Formats: sequence, C-alpha cells, structure tokens
Amino acid sequence: MESSILETIGVEIIGVMSPVSICMLLVVLLVYSLSSADPLTSAPIRTAANLVYLETPSDSTAQKLEGALLNALVFVILIAVVTFLLVVLYYYNFTNFLKNYMRFSAFFVLGSMGGSIFLSIIQHFSIPVDSITCLILLFNFTVVGVLAVFSGGIPIIMRQSYMVFLGIIVAAWFTKLPEWTTWSLLVALALYDLVAVLAPGGPLKLLVELASSRDEELPALVYEARPTVSRGPENRGGLGLLVAEVSDSGSIELQAHPNNNLNRNGNENLHNSDRPAADNQNFRSEEVERNGDEGERSPLVSYNRERHSSDSGSSGYSTEVLTPEMRQHFGNRETEIHIDGELSPLVELPSLQNQIEMERVGQTEVTSRGIRLGLGDFVFYSVLVGRAAMYDLMTVYACYLAIISGLGCTLILLSVCHRALPALPISITLGVIFYFLTRLVMEPFVVGTATNLMMF
Amino acid sequence: MTVAAGIGYTLIALGPSLSLFISVIAHKPFLILTLLSSTLLWLISLILLSALWRGFLPLNSTILWPYAILILTSVIFQEALRVLFWKVYRRLEDMLDAFADRVSKPRLYLTDKMQIALAGGLGHGIAHAVFFCLSLLTPSFGPATYFIDRCSQIPFFLVSAIIALAFVTIHTFSMVIAFNGYSEGKKVDQYFVPVIHLAAGLVTLVNFASGGCVIGIPLIYIMAILTLIHCGKMVWRRLMENRSRR
Repeated sequence: MESSILETIGVEIIGVMSPVSICMLLVVLLVYSLSSADPLTSAPIRTAANLVYLETPSDSTAQKLEGALLNALVFVILIAVVTFLLVVLYYYNFTNFLKNYMRFSAFFVLGSMGGSIFLSIIQHFSIPVDSITCLILLFNFTVVGVLAVFSGGIPIIMRQSYMVFLGIIVAAWFTKLPEWTTWSLLVALALYDLVAVLAPGGPLKLLVELASSRDEELPALVYEARPTVSRGPENRGGLGLLVAEVSDSGSIELQAHPNNNLNRNGNENLHNSDRPAADNQNFRSEEVERNGDEGERSPLVSYNRERHSSDSGSSGYSTEVLTPEMRQHFGNRETEIHIDGELSPLVELPSLQNQIEMERVGQTEVTSRGIRLGLGDFVFYSVLVGRAAMYDLMTVYACYLAIISGLGCTLILLSVCHRALPALPISITLGVIFYFLTRLVMEPFVVGTATNLMMF
Repeated sequence: MTVAAGIGYTLIALGPSLSLFISVIAHKPFLILTLLSSTLLWLISLILLSALWRGFLPLNSTILWPYAILILTSVIFQEALRVLFWKVYRRLEDMLDAFADRVSKPRLYLTDKMQIALAGGLGHGIAHAVFFCLSLLTPSFGPATYFIDRCSQIPFFLVSAIIALAFVTIHTFSMVIAFNGYSEGKKVDQYFVPVIHLAAGLVTLVNFASGGCVIGIPLIYIMAILTLIHCGKMVWRRLMENRSRR
C-alpha cells in the first residue's frame, strides 16, 4: 500500500511547532518546580526590563499599570537602539566582531544564567553534588553549547537542543519579572516586532534585506530544524513543497484566485498549488540547484551543507552513487527548515543591563531555503506560557493552544505573503486574549461544574 | 508519594489517549494539526459557553435544575459545533484529494478518513479531560487530598479522573461515529451521537445526590462502552464492505 499524503503534509509546520512546544513545556515545568520552592517572598530582581519601576504587590492598580507601561516602553527603546547598533555594525562589515560577541554572549547566557538555574534546581531537589564536579560539568556544558551553536561538524540534534536550552534559560529569567510588567512587556514587544519587521526603515527589515543582498546568513544564531526521522526520497513533497511553491508562484496565483488566499483557514496553500506534477518536479530541482548555489556562496555554511550542495549540483536526484546516509540527507533537504534566531542573547550581568539585548527579533521568513523562526519567538512564547503557569494549568493549556494556532496562522500567512513576517504579534495577541478569557470567564464556570462532578 | 498520586490520576484520565496519540497520530503530522485545531475549537466552545453562563454563576449548589439546563445547552451547543466541524472537514477532504491527485499520490483511504475523525475526536476528548480534570489536579501533587461531601467514599481527584476517562472515550469515538454517519447519510448514527452525549451529561447529575457517584460512574461507563461497541461494529462493517468492494 502506497503511503498516503497524510504523512507528508505539514511536516514543516510540525518541525517548527515541536521545538516551540518542547521549549514551552520545559519552561512550564521549571516554573512549576522552582516557584513552589521559593514562594512570592523572593525579592524582585532589577533588570533592564524594569529599570524605571519596581513593582510591589501593595501598589495601587493605576500605579502598577503606569509603571508597567513605562518599563515596557524603556525596554522596547533599549532593544530598538541595540538593534540599530547591530545593523550599523553589520553595515560596516564588523562581522568578526559580531560573531565573537555572539559567541561570548552565548557562553555567558549558558554559563551564568544557566548556571544559576542549575543551582536552584540542585538546591530544590537537594541533589548531592560537590562544587568542583558541578563547575566542571557546567563548564563542559557551556563550551559544548557554544561550539554546537556556532560551528559546523556537530550533530544537528545537539545544535537544536542547545537552541532550545538557550530559549528556556532566557525565558526562565524573564518569568521572574513581576506580573504587570510581563504583560505590558509582551504586548509592547509584539507591537515593536510588527513595526520593526514590516515598516519601511524598521531595523529588522533593514537587517534582513542587508543580509540577503550580501547573500550571507543573518548575523545571529541559526537554528536548523531538520526532521529527525529518516525519510526516503519518495517522501518529498509535503507542505514545505506547497509553501515553497506558493512562495514561488504565489503572486500569480493570488491574482488568479484572489478570494482563495485571503482568509481561508489553514488550507489555501492547497488551493494555490494548481500546478501539474511535472511542474513540481521542475520546481523541485530548481530549488535544489538554488540551494546548492547558496551553499557555495554563503561563508557561514557548515561542512554538511557544502557536501550536500556539491552532491546535488553534480548528481541530481536519485542516482545510485549516493550512499544511504547521503541519500537520507539529500531527501531531508527538501524539507529542511532553518530557524534563525536573530536573537543574540547577549547578557552581561544578571543584575543590571542583562536583558537589554536579549531579544532582537522574532520573525519568520521564507527564503529559497525554507522557513526560519526567530529564537526570540521561542523566548517570548515561553515567557507567556510560563507566566500563565504561575496562575493555573488551565490558563497554561489555553495559552499554549492560542500561541500554537497563532504560529500556524503566521506560517500560513507566510506562504501567501512571501516576505519576512513578524511571528510575535498574532500569537501574543491570541495568547493574552485567551489568558484573560480563561482566567476571568472560563475558570469559575469550569470549577463550579467540575467540583460538583458535572461534566458534559 | 504525592507526586506519584498526581501522575497516577493524570494517567488514569489521559493514559489511553496518550497511547492512542503515540501509536496512531504522532507520526502523521497532518493528524497532529487536526488534533490541535479540534482542541482549539473545543476550547473556544467552552469559553463561549462560560461567557454565556458567566452572569448566572455561581449556581446554587443545592438545586438541581439549573445544572440540568446548563448541561442541556452545553451539549446542544457542542453538537452544533460538531456539525460545523464536519462541514469544514468536508472541504478539507476535497482539497486533500485534489492535492493528492496533483502530486500523483493515492487519494485518502477509508482508514485515513477514519484516522482524521479519530484525531478530531481525540482533540475534543483531550480538551475535555484537560479542562475538567487535569487543571483541577494541581493540588493533588501536593500533600493531602480532597473529598467532597456528596461522594465521600473516593477522593475527588480520583472520581474526576475516572469520569474524565469515560468522557474522553465518548468524545473520541463518537466523532468517528458521527463522521461516518454524516458521510454515509445514516440517520441512526447521526442521532446516536448527540443522544449518547446528552445521556452521559445527564447521568452526571446522579452525582448530585449524596453518594450518587457510586451509581453515576457505572452508568457513565455503560455509555462509554456503548459508544465503543457501536464504533467498533461500524468501523468493522465499513472496512469489510470496503474490502469486498475491492
């Protein structure tokens, strides 16, 4: 029995959603286990995100609101300034400096912030470990992390898991912010993301355009998510193909069936692909060639990539020359997803300035190589869910669903628009709405019925 | 011990769905997407319902009839939603078939359609279990447990986990029954689903009487088993027909 199309559609979407889900799950677990350890008595920390106003539970609502808005404003301005600085540095080709800075900051995030989280885990579960062992382990973890994130030749799964680690660590720090500040910060960042990616002259838009005009990788952390299951060559042609195809021919199709594309949920990419199978074949090989070119030109590509690209350049699709392993890689390339973190989690000290540069962007974009998702999205999705976890499991689940569906909507929009899109706004808006709806409306209802053992 | 108890309650409620998820759904991305969207749909329905009832809360916990009306409206609303879900699914099925033709793959098999229905139903079931049982389980991870007056024999968490399991089963398989009923145009199956859902909802009213859960839980399980048997028979029949046709 030939495999049905159910197995191939949506591989990319799941490839993006599953690391995000894992990240959120781990942050929720972390928040749960650690917040029970030290209840609300712990003193609020001073970071870049609450420079102006330090929330205390006794303040009045108006005071809290005002202070939280000010905090958010200051934080967003800081981020904007730092991003512009990055653009300027990149424009004048300080790439080496940027790369080293990113390495250093990744080292610092993993080492200091990760270290303090590990410490609190060790304390909470009273794990018997002496300080020397702990230091050596931490140092190893950090060094391997920096190597995995920034250099090639390391298994992709390591790189993926370290990206998720980075996301978790940063998000876990953000959940220590006071409640009102967190909410206003999230909304402000979603708005900032919208402006920075879409508005002409927005820093992120500039950065993306600059990078693509130079045919370089974005000067940031790069998350690559390839499907870990080995897929034979016959499995190509999932939704990634659809998305890519739409991004190739989207504009034409858009004109042809305008109402197909506007607001149909979930499936307009299916609509868009009214092309014969032969055409698909063509497109596919074009895509591979293009990938190959890009691989050879781009200075930041890893060893793996180059090997693939030379393979595909010379031998085309299904030649017997390919070893099974190469073939497997090769099959994967079609469904390869790059998740780019323009997030450079640059953290100086946990005390002051630490989170200024935490987040550069969240944005997704389709290039000729696939879908990319900013690591900043990982972080702030997890922050939202982590904040929800401090209230109740019900809100966690509602927020998770809202964020994931927002991400799905963004991916669908992406296949229609064929340009860089901010990934935070839809998800964060949905998440915030669902959080408050759940908390204010649904909870009394569900608790009222369920404690009487009424269900339906 | 307490963490073990919490995990145990969770697995009672969600264990079967977890194994269904891992064995059937997890390796087909499209089914995961179906599951997520159906869960979201159920969540939205719950939010709308609670917005509707928010003004009347908290209900007087000594009178029965407001709860009966609540369950009645909820079931009617959710069954209407199921019809909507089916309409959306019909369109989706056409698109999938068209897409399959284009990439020269076989169209959806009968089993594929049933799996999509299963994923949709499982989404409803999981959402039910999470919101009605799992979200209240958080205290059970700590020390101590909780009893309610009307059902003093069993801890509240255990009762709600057991009832949630029955509802997960009903939701999951009644979606398969409903989709088959709609696609075959069989009135019996189409009416079977709302009736079972309503009956199961009303049976929980038995828990209202003091000590009622001793009777109520077996009654709910009878509903769940009825659903399972009906679903199994129907799937078997359709598969046999399908095979003999080929």
